[in-house]
Amino acid sequence: MAWQLYAAPMNPILLPTPIAVLADFVALVSDGTLVSALVDSFSELILGFTIAVIVGIGLGVLMGRYHRFEVVFDPYVTFMNATPLVAFIPLLIIWVGIEFPARVIVVFLLSLWPILINTVAGIKNANRGLVEVGTSFGLSEVQLLRWVNLPSAVPYILAGIRNGIAKGIVGMIIGEMDMALAGLGGMVAVFGDSFQTSKLMAVIFCTSIFGVVFVGLLGLIERRWFAWIKETAGSQK
Amino acid sequence: MTEASTVLDIRGISKVYGGRSGHRGVQALESIDLSIREGEFISFVGPSGCGKTTLLKILDGLLPASSGRILFDGRELVGVSREIAYVFQDINLLPWKSVVENVEIGLVGRGQAPVERRRRAMEVLELVGLHGVASHPPYTLSGGMQQRVGVARALAINPRVLLMDEPFGHLDNMTRETLQIEVSKIWHRMRMSVVFVTHDVDEAIFLSDRIAVFDLDPGRIVEVLDVNLPHPRWEIDVPAQPEAIRLRRAIIERLELRKRVLI
Ligand SMILES: Nc1ncnc2c1ncn2[C@@H]1O[C@H](COP(=O)(O)OP(=O)(O)O)[C@@H](O)[C@H]1O
Ligand SMILES: [Mg+2]
Repeated sequence: MAWQLYAAPMNPILLPTPIAVLADFVALVSDGTLVSALVDSFSELILGFTIAVIVGIGLGVLMGRYHRFEVVFDPYVTFMNATPLVAFIPLLIIWVGIEFPARVIVVFLLSLWPILINTVAGIKNANRGLVEVGTSFGLSEVQLLRWVNLPSAVPYILAGIRNGIAKGIVGMIIGEMDMALAGLGGMVAVFGDSFQTSKLMAVIFCTSIFGVVFVGLLGLIERRWFAWIKETAGSQK
Repeated sequence: MTEASTVLDIRGISKVYGGRSGHRGVQALESIDLSIREGEFISFVGPSGCGKTTLLKILDGLLPASSGRILFDGRELVGVSREIAYVFQDINLLPWKSVVENVEIGLVGRGQAPVERRRRAMEVLELVGLHGVASHPPYTLSGGMQQRVGVARALAINPRVLLMDEPFGHLDNMTRETLQIEVSKIWHRMRMSVVFVTHDVDEAIFLSDRIAVFDLDPGRIVEVLDVNLPHPRWEIDVPAQPEAIRLRRAIIERLELRKRVLI
């Protein structure tokens, strides 16, 4: 309401009214451009992010559990995590190009590190008392990982995934703006450059919804399969 | 009690924590000698910090001793044994597993088939009266029920030696008394050796054949007392027995003595 009243007398390039944004949103949906952009963006994000989850958890478990792996990989992880990865985009364009695979790699590269780093921390910080139980009752190395260390790391891993998806969405938009214009990021670039502010805002809201849906989905997964996290919060040592 | 054979022979066990490069470290245990007999119930009593938990963890193979040896059936014990089970002070049930899965953990360690270990786990849960909550998550149970699961988990592997570290320390008096009787009954039925740590003198007298009294700085055994009371104990009024009164006084004197010397 406040926005509508405040924006009504202003230049629509600076601040369009919400009614105008909504109208553009409906128009973009009905002519199909927004839907096809969503499909493009969604497939990049899901693919890059899924690979990041698999690699992040897999490598994270190895690094958290085996000192040898940690010694080998830790310097790279520290380096990559401290580097603004966006600076790699020109390099990626030279190596891989600007099409779908390159954009998937951008998503992957941005979402990987939080997942990886959190998995390592989670595996290392497993409750000592529970590890002692596993050891006392004769679990093998692999059994100990499956019964104790990995589940014990789940809260850390979920936090890493939540952070990773946010970074992945950023990667998706940047990739689509800087590489071949495509998906939601492409629309942002086009509407931004041509000062179609109300359309631009319609697309931006669409990206926010993207993030909100993913985080909501994660919350759902946590409540459905990992109820113990809430129930035992604070009692873990 | 007739002469029973020794199952665990503790010989000159010492433990120093953190004694490296210049630091003297904490002498948690100093040359402990003790023979634990087949089928006996022995309690460790002593002030907090006298190394009771440390000794139990060394017996279970969870901690290395700084010196000394432990013989199991005359053979040197290395690492974790399949015939020794541990009931933890903090219970430590896995919150992501159901009650029955928690009880199965020792059977998983032995590579038992899922069907077989579920059958065994249910059997033991029935013994402690918890088969009704087998599929529940452990954090939905009361403290007393959780420790029953801890006991069931240890019993599932049918151990020859059961180590219990202040298992009822966190529980209210009513629950504790019920569980003392239950443990006593289980011991009568299964006849494994039990090493039971407590700082409650009455609990030790009620349950045990023998009581090892510990003292600290450094942690050591100062006396081992026989409890000459008939079994089963839940059928007699233990605290009213002259033997119980005598033991109680003797143990408390030993523990008090230390305080007086320090003052
Ligand atoms: N992991 C450890 N590192 C250093 N000191 C320890 C450790 N565990 C126990 N201690 C010390 O060893 C002594 C004996 O501890 P503990 O075996 O827990 O005694 P109790 O179970 O009889 O209370 C205490 O002084 C304690 O502070
Ligand atoms: Mg203790």
